[in-house]
Amino acid sequence: MVGSNKRSGARRAVRYSLALALLLVMVYPYLYMVLSSFADWTQIDKKLFPTSFTLKSYEWLFSGGETGVTRPWLNAFMNSIIVSVASTALMMLFGIMVAYALSKLNFFGRKAMNNFVLFHMFFPAIILLVPTFLVIQRVGLYDTYLGLIIPKAVSLWAIFMYTNFFKAVPSVFIEAAKLDGASDLKIMFRIMLPMSKSITTVIFLFLLMERWTELLWDMIAVKSDSMLTLNVLLSQMFGPYGSYPGPLYAASTILTLPIIVMFLIFSKKFQEGMQFSLK
Amino acid sequence: MKKRIPMVLSVALIAGMLSACSTGQSGQNESGSASGEGVTTIEFWAAPNPTQQAYWQEMAKAYEAQNGKVKINVSAIKESPTSEASIQAALAAKSAPTMSENINRGFAAQLSSSKALVPLDTLEGYDDLLKGRSMSKTIEPWKFADGHQYVLPIYSNPMLFGWRLDILKELGYNEPPKTYGEVLELTKKLKDKYGDKKYLWAKPDLADPTAWKRWFDFYMLYDAASNGNKFIEGDTFTGDEKAGIEVLTFVDSLRKEKGLLARQVTDPFENGTGVFTDIGPWTFTTWAEKYPNLKYNETYALTMPPVPDGADPAQSKTFADTKGLVIYASATKAQQQAALDFVKWVYSDAKNDAAWFKQTNLPPARDDLSTNESFKAILDESPQLKPYAENVPNAVPPMDNAKYNDLQTIIGTEAFNKVVKGEIAPAEGWAAMKAALEKALK
Amino acid sequence: MDQRNNKLGWMFASPYLIYSLIFFFVPLLWSLFLSFTNWDLIAPTFNFVGISNFLDALQSPAVHAAFWNTYKFMMIFVPLVTVMAIGVAVVVHGLPRFKGLFLIGFFLPYLSSGVVSALIVKGLLSYTSPVNEFLRGIGMDINWLGSPFSALFVVGLILAWKFTGYYALIITSGLESIDKEVYEAAAIDGVKDSQRFWRITLPLLYPSLYTTLILAFGVTFGIFTEVYQLTGGGPGNATNTWQMEIFKQAFSNMQVGYASAVALLASLATFASIFVIRKILEIWGKRNGWV
Repeated sequence: MVGSNKRSGARRAVRYSLALALLLVMVYPYLYMVLSSFADWTQIDKKLFPTSFTLKSYEWLFSGGETGVTRPWLNAFMNSIIVSVASTALMMLFGIMVAYALSKLNFFGRKAMNNFVLFHMFFPAIILLVPTFLVIQRVGLYDTYLGLIIPKAVSLWAIFMYTNFFKAVPSVFIEAAKLDGASDLKIMFRIMLPMSKSITTVIFLFLLMERWTELLWDMIAVKSDSMLTLNVLLSQMFGPYGSYPGPLYAASTILTLPIIVMFLIFSKKFQEGMQFSLK
Repeated sequence: MKKRIPMVLSVALIAGMLSACSTGQSGQNESGSASGEGVTTIEFWAAPNPTQQAYWQEMAKAYEAQNGKVKINVSAIKESPTSEASIQAALAAKSAPTMSENINRGFAAQLSSSKALVPLDTLEGYDDLLKGRSMSKTIEPWKFADGHQYVLPIYSNPMLFGWRLDILKELGYNEPPKTYGEVLELTKKLKDKYGDKKYLWAKPDLADPTAWKRWFDFYMLYDAASNGNKFIEGDTFTGDEKAGIEVLTFVDSLRKEKGLLARQVTDPFENGTGVFTDIGPWTFTTWAEKYPNLKYNETYALTMPPVPDGADPAQSKTFADTKGLVIYASATKAQQQAALDFVKWVYSDAKNDAAWFKQTNLPPARDDLSTNESFKAILDESPQLKPYAENVPNAVPPMDNAKYNDLQTIIGTEAFNKVVKGEIAPAEGWAAMKAALEKALK
Repeated sequence: MDQRNNKLGWMFASPYLIYSLIFFFVPLLWSLFLSFTNWDLIAPTFNFVGISNFLDALQSPAVHAAFWNTYKFMMIFVPLVTVMAIGVAVVVHGLPRFKGLFLIGFFLPYLSSGVVSALIVKGLLSYTSPVNEFLRGIGMDINWLGSPFSALFVVGLILAWKFTGYYALIITSGLESIDKEVYEAAAIDGVKDSQRFWRITLPLLYPSLYTTLILAFGVTFGIFTEVYQLTGGGPGNATNTWQMEIFKQAFSNMQVGYASAVALLASLATFASIFVIRKILEIWGKRNGWV
């Protein structure tokens, strides 16, 4: 008995250390980014684990150092937040609305629309890139927040996920609410949404993440400095500031940290949602 | 359940707020041309280079202080994917700026052929501008085929090669080599001593076909070897075959000696991974901050490009990195005139050019750079700028062909990059490049 | 199906209808139209050039590269990420406690921006970086981004890093759903340990694997940020992708007509490929009696 306990204890230890080692390898790039952003400039990209630290990279980022030119970091950060939050909110709102119709309202053409959503979701979006730019430009939304938000205001994936989820909600609840005189909007947001908390967390985090790290569209749809999103600004820093890797790592940290923190805050709900959505 | 309502509300609020934001913004844009109180607003796009942007911001502020009727918004040209593409995209979206700098001759040719630029000589005060800046001679070769001037050159910068003097001294050299043979000999000594720790020329761009990168490798060597041959004149390929093959053979020999490192590498010259590289004067600002150990004539030297064996190194030529300022045809008449007045004001005082030189280290495109007292103090203070000022007459400007982007890409893909990678023999590379260029020029 | 439901249904679905009209049908038709012109984004008129854009595209080495590279990325990325995800899932599944915590940790790379991972990889793979110094020390001198295969591999590896945790999550939930009793019952039926994986685990895991594989194959058709930031499609065209090529042609060379033709070809290739891949996976599953 004692022997087998010991053996299983040892096995457990091995398992944990293996998992821990794997995990360290996987998150090491983040660690490298954060350490490099605080590292002494002579050590950046020369040491896997820098040993001497400074805040110079962050100071440089906001002062422009010798060059004396500050880039609109805070502004771009705000832009990223505005654009991602608005886009994500709209994608969720429309996702819920459309999915409610597609799952719970028996209207003419519903089946065809359901099929079309599926087709649209798997349609290669790349062909739409250039003409979408032209649409945005023609309606005068080039270089505006709306130009960044509206083309990304509907997510087919969100519609699809919510439709599948709502289908599983027994219609009895809805009938009962209707008998009590509840409107469809009320049913949508007071009954359906609260029931789908965990899946909502999953959809929200995925959509927010995708929007936050979008590069291609945000790069095309904007021309002025004041409209850049953080990801695009960072991407542009590769050029003229290429010889200042320290500030680049600092900017990368600023870009990455909020989304990680957000994720960690919601991680419990996220896991529940994932487990649910994978069933 | 109750929690959900505020969320929906906030979603609606955000959406509302945003539409308000954006209408505010577009309203602002429309008033850009001429707002109520007779103030003309100019959009100025500066080069995506921080020092240049800073310079124009200062100038704009100073001008606004003197002239209440003009407002100048200075911002950097977006560099995604290139500053040229950003300008074209803005033109396409009908939201081009009033004026921008950082325009090379080829791109100006491209823009003027699509009627996007104002002929500067048709604007009032143009002649005064040239006189005020004393640049009549410098601007002469910038004239276009239709007899108009579309670009006002701001700087003309002869590109030089830097050498790590400290490492050269270790190898027994007191000054940099000047001919291909001497450079190859040095490469051998360097490799004998350092193996794969050091290279002659370490730079990822050597294997990159992006058009403008050829200015800073192929053209520098080619201009020196061909005594300033134009390579492409108008729509004809006029390349000097002998010189071209000599250049490619030189690069090929360097490769064979393992003297080239065309890979991603962090600050190779500054860290001593390479001992030779092209240096523009904008580099010195970065060095002052990041590599204070690099000192002119102690740790590094600056020279004109090396020449083929048998040629006279004193006659070496190089590439002129020269860019200018344009005013766009899409701007209103009032904006165009205000833009020219602003430029005229800036260049009426040599002090402003001196400030430019001091801040950006780029030699102003003037006839009197070496004679005007305003610049002497700067050159005395920063001796590393002297060789640049001295070699302005020995520098060949880029081609003015509207297809320069495609043409220069061909130099890389057909010849230069391939030779660097050892994928083609120099003479064959030259022949393939020539054929492709002639096809593209038709 | 009554009047009320009809009205409400269309009303609630209207955001999607309007969206798909403006951002699907109109762009689709516009793209078709443009692909027969040589429009350059600026010119006031459209010149029809027949099918010459398509002929040029079909002959372009960059387009060929974009086509083939999709499958090369597939060959690298899909096996890599599947093996890594299964590995992580098996390790996590074997833990008695803290499974969730570990899964969250492994999921973090999925939150990275391609711009950031490209920057990190550039730093780690610089010629003078500790990684390369070490490799040279043991006699391996690798030109990571300069030779075609390793450049493809680096991009594939970045993507695998990003997606491993996500797919591991899917596979873990598949593993969790397999009842311990199934194994015990199988042991009684005389299934040997060596056959266990093939005869029990894999069939029961097939739905999760199917999801993972479809997602992973899908990723290879949309590669842009990593390539744009790291190699620009190079060396030569070795890492060029459909998105990269369309972006370059439309927004760098201003060849909008040509770019539209390339986009059309890209869509066809993508559509056909995904269809074939799904069919193969389904047949594979059916053959083995897993579905």
